[in-house]
Parts: sequence; structure tokens; C-alpha cells
Amino acid sequence: MEHTEPHSTEPEMANRQGAAQRPNGAQGKICQFKLVLLGESAVGKSSLVLRFVKGQFHEYQESTIGAAFLTQTVCLDDTTVKFEIWDTAGQERYHSLAPMYYRGAQAAIVVYDITNQDTFGRAKTWVKELQRQASPTIVIALAGNKQDLANKRMVEYEEAQTYAEENGLLFMETSAKTALNVNDIFLAIAKKLPKYDQNQGQSGQGQGRRLAEGDQGAKTPGNCCK
Amino acid sequence: MNEEELLQRAVEEREKLFKRYEQGRDGGAEIDPWEDPGFEVYHTTDRYGFIHDQRLPTKIDIHEAKKLQIEVERQKKWIKMLKNWGSPGVSPEKLHSRVYKGIPDSLRSIVWCKLLNVEESKNSNAGIYTNMYQLARQYSTDARQIDSDVNRQFREHLHYRERYSIKQQQLFNVLTSYAMYNSEVGYCQGMSGLAGVLLMYMNEEDAFWALHILLTDPKYAMHGYYKEGFPKLTRFLAHHDKILTKFLPKLKKHFDKNGLDAMLYSLKWFFICFVERVPFNLCLRVWDIYLLDGERIITAMAYTILKLHKRNLLRLNDMDAIVNFIQVKLHKDFLIEDDIVIQNLEKSIEELKRAKLYTPSPPQKDEIPSRPFGVFKKPTLDKIVGIRTDKFSEKERQTNQLVVLTSDIARDNAEKDETYECQTNDSVGHTGSKFSFEQSNDDTSSLLDCEHLGSRRSLADTSVTSTADLSVFSTITRSQAHENSLDTHSNLSDNSVGGASSIGSGICTTSSHRVFSAHTTPRASSYKQSPDVLRIYVPYSPLDTPVASPHNGDLQQSIPCLFNDNKVRIKIDNDELPTPLIEHGQIKSFNVDTELDLK
Repeated sequence: MEHTEPHSTEPEMANRQGAAQRPNGAQGKICQFKLVLLGESAVGKSSLVLRFVKGQFHEYQESTIGAAFLTQTVCLDDTTVKFEIWDTAGQERYHSLAPMYYRGAQAAIVVYDITNQDTFGRAKTWVKELQRQASPTIVIALAGNKQDLANKRMVEYEEAQTYAEENGLLFMETSAKTALNVNDIFLAIAKKLPKYDQNQGQSGQGQGRRLAEGDQGAKTPGNCCK
Repeated sequence: MNEEELLQRAVEEREKLFKRYEQGRDGGAEIDPWEDPGFEVYHTTDRYGFIHDQRLPTKIDIHEAKKLQIEVERQKKWIKMLKNWGSPGVSPEKLHSRVYKGIPDSLRSIVWCKLLNVEESKNSNAGIYTNMYQLARQYSTDARQIDSDVNRQFREHLHYRERYSIKQQQLFNVLTSYAMYNSEVGYCQGMSGLAGVLLMYMNEEDAFWALHILLTDPKYAMHGYYKEGFPKLTRFLAHHDKILTKFLPKLKKHFDKNGLDAMLYSLKWFFICFVERVPFNLCLRVWDIYLLDGERIITAMAYTILKLHKRNLLRLNDMDAIVNFIQVKLHKDFLIEDDIVIQNLEKSIEELKRAKLYTPSPPQKDEIPSRPFGVFKKPTLDKIVGIRTDKFSEKERQTNQLVVLTSDIARDNAEKDETYECQTNDSVGHTGSKFSFEQSNDDTSSLLDCEHLGSRRSLADTSVTSTADLSVFSTITRSQAHENSLDTHSNLSDNSVGGASSIGSGICTTSSHRVFSAHTTPRASSYKQSPDVLRIYVPYSPLDTPVASPHNGDLQQSIPCLFNDNKVRIKIDNDELPTPLIEHGQIKSFNVDTELDLK
């Protein structure tokens, strides 16, 4: 079972090999960011990633055990932003492994299911944990997923928006199934992340580690490269 | 909401969930359209909206037909063997050889139950399953999580396809009941896969007991995987890393360099014995063996998978691609015939046994069930209403620290390696003289590596042979290479070490193709524009011990810095300049203390 709809709001996606191989790649900057998805089980974390990275949707997305890793590159003006996405398991039992994934993350999407009030409460807990434990400069986005099921809504848009504003979070209601706001939320995060050009002395910024040319960066989620 | 309301809500939710499964599909079950797939077995829709017909071939191919015929023949033998089950007539050797050939699918139900001794557990615990179900019906705190997992487990399987189908009901029942019976584990994601497979071959109650045996019988001891803090997982991952460091050091380095912790790609290997990670037919073969031989099979199979696909994996130069290959690609198509995989698994087991790495370290106390089974303890309010604890338990904290530490060490090692190593990647170039003499299993163990041999010969044919005894390589045949790939302790490694010892050193060479492919990570080499490079390691060892012999990768593992300090690089302009030329050499004495520390 796989549903794929045309992207309604598809931004310019670089090819999967990354912009480094594009002929004009040399002109823009390439920035690489580690992003982690957190949230209660079955709210649609993996589905959001799958939609964003592959443009696909599976009704019966297999449950994530531990964590999954994927990358996607988006173009933003003259900058190519490569997201290293860590998709975590939602069950509480796996919580003890989560810090390994959000450690060093520059961005996080905390996901809840708009048809389930509890998942919103859980999302708040995750936000608190991130604010307490993760990097102080982390960009956090709140995603109210399953917007396609709005007729079963249990979490009001305004409630979540107010909460997001109070906590300085990006906020969007999304639907991995219809692709609503999926690319947009990643793009919004990309816009909000600080982008340093290596040539302009990024290493002097003292944040993150400079990535050597061609470095995978998975282990060294520096703020920027090239 | 106040406490009472929360409780009330939890009770209602549980009631609702159980009722749905009890009711099944009849009597106007409340099923959202998305929960129930249309019958689309033959069709898939691509992203552009085109519908693709994916019918199975109408004719069985000859190969397939032959396999089925063999299975029918085996079935007869199995039926005979089942009649004498437990009698001296069925020797362990015979059982072993038959199980490794694959249990005929029509007999799997019976044989799996026998291997697990389900009957005995069931009979000595009569009535318990029903009791547990009743308890779950009243008190389960895991029903919500189990419900959401049942809704996505094996949905492409005929029996699990329809929402609230009989097998979905059974899966829900077994998992909720088991969570009551083994309250220490309760329900952990992953268990739905385990019980899901068992239910394909067993009825509800048998599956319940089979699940219990898998978790608690010391032979399988999966309890420790699923328990809070995953104590067994960390132990097995450490063992897995040990195996990789010993037998596939280059691959291990490659993973480290790409920041790939085994935790990321292997969880379903360990937790659900390769379900959804290898094609189902192969998965069943591994399950057959797992049920016969127990937990050690998992690490042996993990090693086998990486060994068989080492070449492919070394070519992938980012974590995303590697993980995708291991988790997605190999699930769709393992690329190697099941029988060959199993033969290799057996070879791996032999290798591991010889290296005393077949059996992982014994279980820690905290992996073993400590609470009695089936003793009901009323759940706490937090549990009932589903409030998460804010803090980690001591065990979880330990696990967390351990996991972080392991990845830090791997990262540090990778960084160190990068400083010392320049051309690891190049040895797995793409065509032509891609080649490596490194005598770890890394280089002798890839089945898929057909080009490999050709390049061996081509390099051996050059005059490089004058500097090192490469005769053994130049005369090697494809079948020998194959043999070597299956048995890494065979003559290839031994001979080469023998040959090399005449000049008092092990040989370890690496060459790269002159044309650097775009796929090669530029970072991997500071010698970007160089032609083929043959590196000869000359471990300068004042210790008269086999430590200098790099034939099994030991050296790199135990004294990595030393190894790199003692390399001599010889540059060869392959065709035009047949005479080797020393480009760069550093021989430093090494610090014995370092070696001891690292060991």
C-alpha cells in the first residue's frame, strides 16, 4: 500500500547525491545540519521523513525500532542545505536511546497527532527535554501531523500555536499523507538555521566543527561546510 | 483533567480497544477507510500516478520448480524423522544438517513447536493463557501501543491485511496477555514482529508460549533485549563490534568513518531475528537455525551479512546509503541465493568458533527475568493513564551513557584513522586494478567480488612481484578465490604470510585505480592525483610474536597506531614505469606500552 500524490508545495530539491556534483555547485554554500524527530509513537514521525525525503507515503509505515537515518538536501537561495535526519522510535522504552540521536542536533521537529490530545502533551515534554538537554541554539519546530484527519481533531490549532509562540518554536500543521506543509516545515527550519560560509571564516565562529572537504559530517555535525 | 477523569478515560479506552478486537470484522466494526486496504496485491501506484501491474509470473521457473521438488522430497524425510522425534534414531547431527537445509514450509508449524518445546510449556501451564487474557482485558496498560503496532505489522500479509482480521485479533491478544504474564518486559516495540511471525505458523496459545520461550529460555534469552535499558542489546552489540574489528576491520573502519554505529543498522537483526531486514524466505531459514541453535546464530548471521556484502558496503560513502543498503535493499533483495547464504553462515560459525568469538560473554544479572511470571501487580496510576516518567531509571541511564561512549570511541578511532590512513577507500575503487592484499578477511571474504580477482592477477603480473612474494596471488584461480572467500583461514592468508616472512614482514598493500571515480570520497586521500599506489606495511616488531602478521586483521585492531607508523609507500606507475619506486617511508620504533594499553 503506497500512496503518492504529486507534491503540492515542492521546493527545489537538489538531487540525492547532493549539490556538490551540480555544475553550479561551486557557487553556493553547502550547509549540513543534523535534525532529529521526536514525539509519541505512531504520530507520523517516520511518515513525515519518508514524505520529505522520498515523496512517498505508506499507510502502514513499519514501526521504527531504535532510530532511522536519512538525508535530504534542499536549496535555499544560494545555499544548499543538507539535512541529516534522525528519526527516532516513539515508545517510551526507547527513550533512553534518544539522547544519542539528539546530541549535537541543530534542529528538531517534535511531532504530535492532532487527533490525539495525549500526543500533544507528550510533545510538550519533549520540547522541555530539548530545552533542558540539547544544544541551547537548537531550532525546534512543532508539527501537528495528520491534518488530513482534521474532522477528528482533538488539538485545536490555536492552542498549539499559542504554545509554540510562548516557547519560540516554529509551528505548522502537517499531513504526511497529503504532503501538506511537509516540505515547508523543513524549509522553514532551514531558513532559521544559521548558515556560515566556510570561506568567510566559519571556523572562527567557534560553533560546531568545520567539515573537511567531502566529509560526511555525520559524526561531526558542523554548522556549515564549503 | 483530574485524576479520576484520567482514570475513567483510560478505562474507557482500554475497553474500546479490547472490544474492537473481540468483535473482529463482523457486526459493523468501526474501521477508518485508511485502516483497511483495498485488495491491491497486484498493483502499485508510482509517484506520477501510473499504476503498475506486478503479477507473479504465470509459469514457475525451472530453478524454482526444482527447489520445490527437493522440498517435497525432504518433506518425506522430515515426516519420518518427526515420527521418531526424541528417539536415538534422530541424531543431533542429522537434525542439524536438515535444519540448515531448511525446514519444509508445510512442516514448519510442527517443527518449530518441537524445537521450542511449546507443548511442554503449554501443558504444564494449562489455563494460564486464558487467565492472562482476562487480566489484560481488565488491567492492560499496553493496549494502546499494541493496538497501534498491530495496525502496522505485516499489513502486506494476507492474514494481517484486513483490520481486525483473525490474525490481527490473535496478535493483539497474545501481546496484551504476554505483557501481563511477563510484567518486567511488558510490551516493547519489536515484539509484534516476533509474535507476528510465530502466529503465521502457530495458533494463539502456542504462539504465546513460543514467545515466552524465546524471551526466557537461556538458549534465546530475548527478555534482555526488550527489557528497560536493553541490557542484552548492549552486550551483543559489543560482541558484534568485536567480531567486526577482528574479521572485517576495514569495514568497521569504514563504518566508523561514516559515523555508523551498529545500533543504527542492526536493531531488527537482534530484536526480531532479521524480520523485515532480509527477504522473508531467507528470514525463515535463519529462524529455523535460530530455533535450533539459539542466540549465537544472531551474531554469526550479522557477521555473515556484512561479510557477504562487504564490497558493496565499502563502495558506499555515506551513512545514508549504507543504512539504506543494509535495511532496505537487502530486505527487498539479498542478492545471494539462500542456500549460499546459509552455507556461509556455517562457515562463519566455524570461523567464530576458531577465534573463540562464537559465544558472547555470559549474560549480566540484569538481563535475566527477576520477577515471577504471571503474578499480577496492579499498575500504578501513571502507568494506567500513560504518564511518562521524567527521569531515566538507573539502568536506562547506564545504557544511555554506554551508547554515547561507544559512539564517541568509534568517532575518535575514525578520526585517528583518518590522520594515519590516507587511502583506505581507494582500495575498493571500481574497476581495473582495484585491489588489496591486506590479509584480513576483509579482502578474502567477499563472494560478490568478481572484479577483485582480475585485479589481483593484473597487479601480480606487473613487476611489482619483484619486491614481494606475490606468486600465490598470481596463480590463484577463481574457484580458489571463491574457496578462500568461504574459508578465510585457508592457504591464501597462510601462504602469503609465509612468503612475506622471508623478508621479515607482513605485507599489506593497497592500490587505487588511476582514474578516480566521482564516487570516491576525495577526503579519503591526500594523494588525489597519484597513479596506482602500492603500500607495503613493514611492521617493525622487536617482539618475536605473531603480532606482526597482519593476516587476520589482528594487528590493526590491537596496535593501530603502530601499524600505521610503520608503512612504506611504494608508488607504481602501472604500465609505463614497471619499476617500483619508494615514494615515502617512515619506520619508527613503537612503544610497547601502547600495545599493552590497547590490548
